[in-house]
Amino acid sequence: MRHFTILWFIITALIISVAGYDKEAFSLNEEAKKDDPLVLAFIPQENPEKLIGDIEIIIEYLQKEMGVPVKGYVTQDHAAAVEALRNGEADISFMGGLPYVLAHEIIGAEVILSEVYRGSPTYRARIFVLRDSGIEKVEDLKGKSIAFADPLSESGFIYPLEIMVEAGLLKRGDDPKEVFSNVYFAGGYQQAIQALANGLVDAAGVSQFADLLLTPEQLPKITWIAESKPIPSHLVCVRKGLDKERVDAFKQAMLKLNQPENKHLLKYVYSPDGYIEASHSDYKSVEVIARQYGFLN
Amino acid sequence: MRSRKLNLTNWFLKTALVVLLLIPFTPSSAHIVAQEPWHPVAQAYLRAIFYANLKPINWDLIAEEYEKQIAEPGYKSKTVYDLIAVIEKTDKTDHVESIRKAIEDKDPRAFYSSSTRALSHYIRYHLEEADSKIDKPGVALNDVLEAKRLYRALEDFIEQVDQEAYDQMGRSWLSLTSSVGSAGVMEIGVLKPDEPNFRKVSGYITQYLKTNYEFRDFSDQDTLLPLPKYKSSSNGKVEIAPWLPPGSNLNDQRPLPRLVLNFEARGLDEKDLFLVAYGDMLFDSPEIFGEPARSFGIACSTCHNRSDINQSFMIPGVSERAGSADVDSHLFNSRFNDHKNDSLDIPSLRGLRFTAPYGRDGRFASLREFTRNVMVNEFGGREPTPFMLDAIVTYMLEFDWLPSMYLEPDGILNDKASASAKRGEKIFNTEYKSMGGRACSTCHIPSSNFLDGLRHDITSGNSSGPGARDTFFDTPTLINVKHTGPYLHNGSLETLGDVVQWFNVRFELGLKERQKADLTSYLETVGTGEEPYEVFDNDNTQFLLDWSELSTFLTTLDTLIPAEDEYHTKLLIQTVSSDLRLDASGLQDRSQAPKVYALADKLDEILVAVEAQDWEKSQTLWTEYKTMEVEYGSEFK
Repeated sequence: MRHFTILWFIITALIISVAGYDKEAFSLNEEAKKDDPLVLAFIPQENPEKLIGDIEIIIEYLQKEMGVPVKGYVTQDHAAAVEALRNGEADISFMGGLPYVLAHEIIGAEVILSEVYRGSPTYRARIFVLRDSGIEKVEDLKGKSIAFADPLSESGFIYPLEIMVEAGLLKRGDDPKEVFSNVYFAGGYQQAIQALANGLVDAAGVSQFADLLLTPEQLPKITWIAESKPIPSHLVCVRKGLDKERVDAFKQAMLKLNQPENKHLLKYVYSPDGYIEASHSDYKSVEVIARQYGFLN
Repeated sequence: MRSRKLNLTNWFLKTALVVLLLIPFTPSSAHIVAQEPWHPVAQAYLRAIFYANLKPINWDLIAEEYEKQIAEPGYKSKTVYDLIAVIEKTDKTDHVESIRKAIEDKDPRAFYSSSTRALSHYIRYHLEEADSKIDKPGVALNDVLEAKRLYRALEDFIEQVDQEAYDQMGRSWLSLTSSVGSAGVMEIGVLKPDEPNFRKVSGYITQYLKTNYEFRDFSDQDTLLPLPKYKSSSNGKVEIAPWLPPGSNLNDQRPLPRLVLNFEARGLDEKDLFLVAYGDMLFDSPEIFGEPARSFGIACSTCHNRSDINQSFMIPGVSERAGSADVDSHLFNSRFNDHKNDSLDIPSLRGLRFTAPYGRDGRFASLREFTRNVMVNEFGGREPTPFMLDAIVTYMLEFDWLPSMYLEPDGILNDKASASAKRGEKIFNTEYKSMGGRACSTCHIPSSNFLDGLRHDITSGNSSGPGARDTFFDTPTLINVKHTGPYLHNGSLETLGDVVQWFNVRFELGLKERQKADLTSYLETVGTGEEPYEVFDNDNTQFLLDWSELSTFLTTLDTLIPAEDEYHTKLLIQTVSSDLRLDASGLQDRSQAPKVYALADKLDEILVAVEAQDWEKSQTLWTEYKTMEVEYGSEFK
């Protein structure tokens, strides 16, 4: 009996203790939730160091606009950004269309904003060649060398492949190495278009804007022979389950960047001309391509 | 007057060869495209090598490149020495000490050798880092791109002396980035690395670097430029195209100053003023200068944007700060090198017909002599013809100041000026004992365009020695001065407030805060011009401005071709044809570019006919050009 009494006491104490702990813990979590920073993941671009400086400025703006703490960091790559959304390390991420449709399918990420360039939320991929190369149409590329940006890039690989498919040079799923003498992933738009300008390859399959990376002296030497269908531009997406109020507040703050008094801040966040609201349906075309190329079942 | 638009990389490589690759990280994800920055180590290296090739060598500048904290986020609180030191840990090398000692000893060859070895070694360090991660798909990419970003400091020089090696190395880098595989996203799209190929290609690059850039004995190399050793030692003297270091900026300033030409106020069209139109072309022509300015695309308008200044102009080692240049340094014309580091603030040319004498120290009474000195001595150009001097001087004499809304013709403030400015006007006219009984207005005479036409020593300069008198400078006007900062002959004062403070301290004027504010307000009011900057919109794009100017220049062919004036016709066409191609990059609708190129091609056809002295054909082609100009011109934006 005595032992029972002691055991009962211990059990009761444990129950009270645990209950008390739980209650306190719950309370702490609730409070922490209010103060939880909104965490943004930024994918790297041409100058990650500069981006780190830039995001400090945009984060300060967002904190002021939203009235909540905001944090941000530059991820190693797209994969890290998607992983951060999956495990809750990031609430929101800036990313390209292809990684997004994968993230949407697998972890339920939702696009909320699209970037606008030159008045459009879409852009195109182009096949660039040297003007005096004699290459006038896609079919002429057979047996030539080509530089793409990256194997996971829409405008820097997948959509240029689609151009080849539409021209009958390739079939989806074919290894492009069977058609071209050499296929390179140069590491970025600039590397790919410069490889062409410097005569290292016969063609480059990259964003329509890649020729902005050429010097005025190089520009006359380069032309393009085909372009893709419109590609939905890069975007901002949120992780599954992120509080709707926070999403809305963030979206409104970002859309305020379109206002003349805030436009100067756009240069600190990948320099688009502005943002517009977006939904997953705007990225259906990317999803279709992703399925056609085996990225999704 | 027009201006060339050359970005830094662009002209750095314009002659030197064109290659601006490399980016660190994975920018396939980049949104709209943007130029990659220089790697801090590559940038410091190239700048230091550039300084080491100037005479006299400014060793302080070289030391600063390696010792100063790197400004880019991500490298904050680190110096180039700190970054290089990383490789010493693994290889027991002494790069930092070698570079330091070479700088201390002021030994250019030792500096070249040690800094070049360090750079090459740093490239290899990143390749080795990549190698250690090559088994993980995509993980090695960043190190490969970092290595390539460093290699950028060498590749332009390799291309100039060994195209084959340049191509081979270029394809090797492409092959490396293609060999590292891709991490995919959530295990989708994973691309396995090609380890054998990576190691093979990395081995080739490593060997090339070791063979050509990591030697200690370079006694057979007669230039301090990063040329591959076997080429520089086997081919005898190697000619390298003119080049400029990272951080150089020959772009026009933004916002672009507004040009005010006197004849326009009289309702005249420049197309009807032959001498003015040709002079305008010369003002914008690198062809009137010698090398290296011509290869850099430098024209009068490069420094004097739209008759005014260029606050962005910068050549490290030649410009003490943005908006200045040492035009008699070793760079532009070694024969005219005064061996002094005396970078001068670029002056505005507005109101030029009133601002004699010319030059910061007023050394030329005649604008014509001053202009010839700029063309022949400062920038090493051929002797200009009398017609060229007549034309360019005639054009520059048309430069007016921006109108002022606050000044009466006699330079007195009108009623639109603020009370503060009017109080400042009284201070401006007050004589101070500490200024020898003079007032500000004694030299900046309001009724004489705020000029006295004299030189004074206000002790803002550094004298070469007792009696040298090289600290006297020409009195500058204050009209439009609000838009022409920085101030003083060397641009050492950023604002007009700084100028007031400088005078207050230097001449012990005893001005209180409010008085200083009032005097500053006065200077700003006197210096305010109406609509100081060009306003661009859909009806006035940068390209349309350029196009309009080039079309104006070309109207002089109506006179030159019938006169069978070969020399001046060729100079005109060479200038316009080249500019037209460059300007195409500014088209809003890039699909119009081929039409611009077609027009440039037509001009080249005229040039060939002129060189053959086939004036009949020249006239025919010029007529065809004008037809094309009308047809295409309306579509350009």
